[in-house]
Amino acid sequence: MATLSIKGVRKSFGSLEVLKNIDIELEDGGFLVLLGPSGCGKSTLLSIIAGLEPSSGGDVTIGERNVNNVHPKDRNIAMVFQSYALYPTMSVRRNIGFGLEMRKMPTPERDAAVKKAADLLQIEHLLERKPGQLSGGQRQRVAMGRAIVRDPDLFLFDEPLSNLDAKLRVEMRTEIKRLHDRLGTTIVYVTHDQIEAMTLGTKVAVMRNGVIQQFADPQIIYEQPANVFVAAFIGSPTTNFLNGTLEATNGLLSLRHGGGSLDLGGLQQDVGAFVGRPVVAGIRPETLQVAETGVSGTVEVVEPTGPDTMVILNVGGQMLTARLGSRDRPKLGQAMTLSVDARAVNLFDPDSGDRI
Amino acid sequence: MSRALYTAAPPRTVWESINPLRMIGELSETRYWMYLLLLPSALLITAVVLYPTLYGFQMSFREMRLNRPDVGTDWVFFKHYIRMVNDPIFWLSLRNTAIWVTSSIALEFLIGLTAALALNRNLPGTKLLAVLILLPYFLPNVVAGHMWGLMLDPRLGVINDLLMRVGLLDGYKAWFADPKTAMAAAIIVESWHSFPFFTLLIMAGLKGIPADLYKAADIDGAGPLAQLRLITLPMLKTIIAAAVILRVIGLVNSPDLLLILTSGGPGRSTQVLSLYAFQMAYKDFNFGYAGALSVVMFVLLMGFAWIYVRLSKVNED
Repeated sequence: MATLSIKGVRKSFGSLEVLKNIDIELEDGGFLVLLGPSGCGKSTLLSIIAGLEPSSGGDVTIGERNVNNVHPKDRNIAMVFQSYALYPTMSVRRNIGFGLEMRKMPTPERDAAVKKAADLLQIEHLLERKPGQLSGGQRQRVAMGRAIVRDPDLFLFDEPLSNLDAKLRVEMRTEIKRLHDRLGTTIVYVTHDQIEAMTLGTKVAVMRNGVIQQFADPQIIYEQPANVFVAAFIGSPTTNFLNGTLEATNGLLSLRHGGGSLDLGGLQQDVGAFVGRPVVAGIRPETLQVAETGVSGTVEVVEPTGPDTMVILNVGGQMLTARLGSRDRPKLGQAMTLSVDARAVNLFDPDSGDRI
Repeated sequence: MSRALYTAAPPRTVWESINPLRMIGELSETRYWMYLLLLPSALLITAVVLYPTLYGFQMSFREMRLNRPDVGTDWVFFKHYIRMVNDPIFWLSLRNTAIWVTSSIALEFLIGLTAALALNRNLPGTKLLAVLILLPYFLPNVVAGHMWGLMLDPRLGVINDLLMRVGLLDGYKAWFADPKTAMAAAIIVESWHSFPFFTLLIMAGLKGIPADLYKAADIDGAGPLAQLRLITLPMLKTIIAAAVILRVIGLVNSPDLLLILTSGGPGRSTQVLSLYAFQMAYKDFNFGYAGALSVVMFVLLMGFAWIYVRLSKVNED
């Protein structure tokens, strides 16, 4: 187990800068999720941590040791790949024990370690098979077995669940969380799936275009997104953005928008400087409730999903999605009013996109 | 004039029923079409492969000497095969064939694998180098043979000159005239000519190995040699087996390069089975015995191909 410290890490391919001045500190036993859309640089950052890709500048420190010039095999890390990267010509047993074999561990000890890992992942019955004879979920377990058998300082996961079907993905997600709780190893986990990020991470770094947009606890990222991008990326359905002008009447804040005025009493932000100026209000669909007062509009789309009903409301030309109860089934074209919990609203500067 | 859309097809005219294009079109809908398409190649194979092979088989059981019409062409059954068992030149040729084939293929494989691994790095210039490296393979055997014959010539060969200049040789050497060096020199020429075949196939195979495997191996602590031995080569096994079979068949069957370079000499130091059969037929005009030699080669190759097919099937499992 070890801490992970990334300071000022950069990466360029020719003139293309894919990582810009990345700073991350992860505590011992922490679970860091690198989250972002494809091409944001999260996998490149993981490769730099693993030593598979040289950085163009900055420092990576695992535990007390600066590993900038340390070969991947000497970093005491283990990695699970999106493709699993199991050696197709070797049995599962040899796949799991390969790292130990290369480190010249005597066979009896190696066998014992493989057995222990296989027990933990419940794949003991698969040990003599070749990877080609396994299902996707089984391969996933073998890949994890190969990682945990080495008892590394740091686990690296590169989108490990994206090749699994939806049901198996949820199962393996739980499995990874349980494994982390049990082993307590420091983990860096790359994904583009926000649910994985929210459920697994003790820290989440949301990335875009090689820049960390926000690095915080998952709950903070959900409740106080650093900017419009983070607010839009986290949450499903995505955050509503209501454009308007911030007004203050007798000390009471409100948002004047195309469809009327929204009371912002109870807002958690200090927005004094923005009174009288245009702002963007980020409103989560799940914080909207059917009520007598609030934002009013006409129902444009109704999408029942089973447990919830998604309702898209036209508010003076701006669309607002609300996640309502399954019994709320408004009719198309019907007028509707939704209350907004101002404590859950975030105001953003429309010019920079940053949270005020 | 308007016509009803859904009327029964009008009866065929005489021309329509004998229109050859229409007849072919109708035939192509039937199951006989497949046989019809196979017919030309089947006829060709029968005429130039199957018939000569079977004729060669029956020839090996007959007396057939073009320079001795007096002995006739009677059936002699296993006479040639019995003679072969007691023929020291046959055994020498068989031994030489084994040396010729295994050494050439080993060298071709080593050079071909090295070149393929280097070209697979995708560094600047590798595309051009890949084309250059394949050039020897495009040369016909005859051209390559004469070219190397000239380069290794004892009087005006450039190789002798170069080796003398760097001090490896005291005087010009007749490489193909010394029984100690003739086979080795021929093997080097053959390997130079055919290693691109391995390069080509191995390069194609390397493209199919996922890069993630090498990243995983890096983290697992496998060095370059361990990666080659434990990942690359096992994953190329099937391709290498196929390439080796094809080269064995090619080398056992073709006497052309050795015919040009040494004609089996000096003495019989480079006499291989195919060359012996060729010379038995076209120098001694003993077609019966030459047929028997060819049949033995055929059986050996069939056995070899069978072993490799079995091996590659086992590997798949």
